[in-house]
Amino acid sequence: MNFFEVIENIITNYWSWILKGIGMTLLVSIVGTIVGLIIGLVIGVIRTISVDKSNKLAYVFKKFINFLIGVYVEIFRGTPMMVQAMVIFWGYAYLSGGNTLDVTLSALFIVSINTGAYMAEIVRGGIISIDKGQFEGAEAIGMNHFQTMLYVVIPQVMRNILPSVCNEFIINIKDTSVLNVIGFAELFYVTNTIVLKNYQTFITYLFTAVIYFVLTFGISRILLLIEKKLAGKKNYVVLGSGNMDAESIALENNREN
Amino acid sequence: MSNQDNYIQADNATNESPYIIKVEHVGKVFGTNTVLTDINFNVKSGEVICIIGSSGSGKSTLLRCVNKFETATSGAIYYHGEDINKIKNFPLFRTKVGMVFQSFNLFNNMDVLKNCTIGQTKVLHRKKEEAKANAIKYLDLVGMSAYVNARPNQLSGGQKQRVAIARALAMEPEVLLFDEPTSALDPEMVGEVLDIMRNLAKSGLTMLVVTHEMGFARDVASRVLFMDKGVIVEDDTPENIFTNPKEDRTKEFLKRVL
Repeated sequence: MNFFEVIENIITNYWSWILKGIGMTLLVSIVGTIVGLIIGLVIGVIRTISVDKSNKLAYVFKKFINFLIGVYVEIFRGTPMMVQAMVIFWGYAYLSGGNTLDVTLSALFIVSINTGAYMAEIVRGGIISIDKGQFEGAEAIGMNHFQTMLYVVIPQVMRNILPSVCNEFIINIKDTSVLNVIGFAELFYVTNTIVLKNYQTFITYLFTAVIYFVLTFGISRILLLIEKKLAGKKNYVVLGSGNMDAESIALENNREN
Repeated sequence: MSNQDNYIQADNATNESPYIIKVEHVGKVFGTNTVLTDINFNVKSGEVICIIGSSGSGKSTLLRCVNKFETATSGAIYYHGEDINKIKNFPLFRTKVGMVFQSFNLFNNMDVLKNCTIGQTKVLHRKKEEAKANAIKYLDLVGMSAYVNARPNQLSGGQKQRVAIARALAMEPEVLLFDEPTSALDPEMVGEVLDIMRNLAKSGLTMLVVTHEMGFARDVASRVLFMDKGVIVEDDTPENIFTNPKEDRTKEFLKRVL
């Protein structure tokens, strides 16, 4: 068989496997990125709670929570996701005396907490980038910490970290390929299975490489559009020194919408 | 006080203590750096108190202690006789003791109207419509009601500060703290903000103003506190402070700034 015959063979015989593989890869990347982002945001909100030193118990408790968060971030950032997947999947089997977790659920769990560790740091950076005055402005009108974060800080953090979050998403599309080690049937796993049938290692993986690239490139373009739509370039000015009259502002805002 | 209107919530003034704010022997230490030493003063309803003094004299820190942005390391501050460290409904206290900042601190992610309604709806639990009407009332007062849909970054410094004042007023505070409200403004915009503050003072709002604007302090204040190196050197009427200061430190300061 020549090159094109192999490709044709893959498409005609295994298209449904490949589509399922793509679906699984996308599912686990999307869910992992979103849940990871939520974990990161929750950690960001917890980390920024300020506790008065005079309240000893609360202060010690907060230190302890910070320590736990630090341990979580360091461990999940500091070990390969492939190893994490094996330890969690087989660790559960070991501890439960032979029962295994559902593979898809395990995959979603592993990618989510792994991404959460990175997101925690991305969100931390995002929060640091917000002017301290934004917090004080909110506190001065009586908002508590959670209101301040929810209504004022997080929306601004989201806009600032959006590029990094999209980056994580793209990384997840590629890196979830390691989940084949626990038998999760994503795109890489499917490719491997096809190779076991057609013995065309190079061509089959090249085909898969193209699929991965189309996925990541296509998604990065889409994310860029979303980013533009959300951010609205006018709003990127942090220290505007505008001095427009009401009419021109109304005009400008209309144009943006 | 005859022309006081709705800036003051009369029901809040019915309390045993004649003072809204009472500052007793307050000290503040940052590490090894003593910023405030034995500060004592009271704020009565309707008073406009200007705090003057050179940079680093502790004016802003004192102001920030009053609404508990900073916690005094010694002494106590009372709000209607209640120690602010032990206040039960702390968010309500923050709405009653409002603050206007040097750097405006408008919420960048909200338009002008939302800036003025978010606190009302989320902290005071007002209905959206009521909050909106109230916000527009105060935006009107500061001459910014035509800008309800503008974003903070589309406004000039003076406009931002006027919105910030409206945002604080919309919470219906009993006393409003101003932390050098005109220091970050271009010179030509200082006037528009000071004019609004003058009108607020006239209408009977209780104000505590840290400022470098000596003209404002002289014309508007009912009392002036002169601070130097973390202590209140003089606490007197503006006439006495500006025309007949008792302390050498006050004289020296005034010679430098006037």
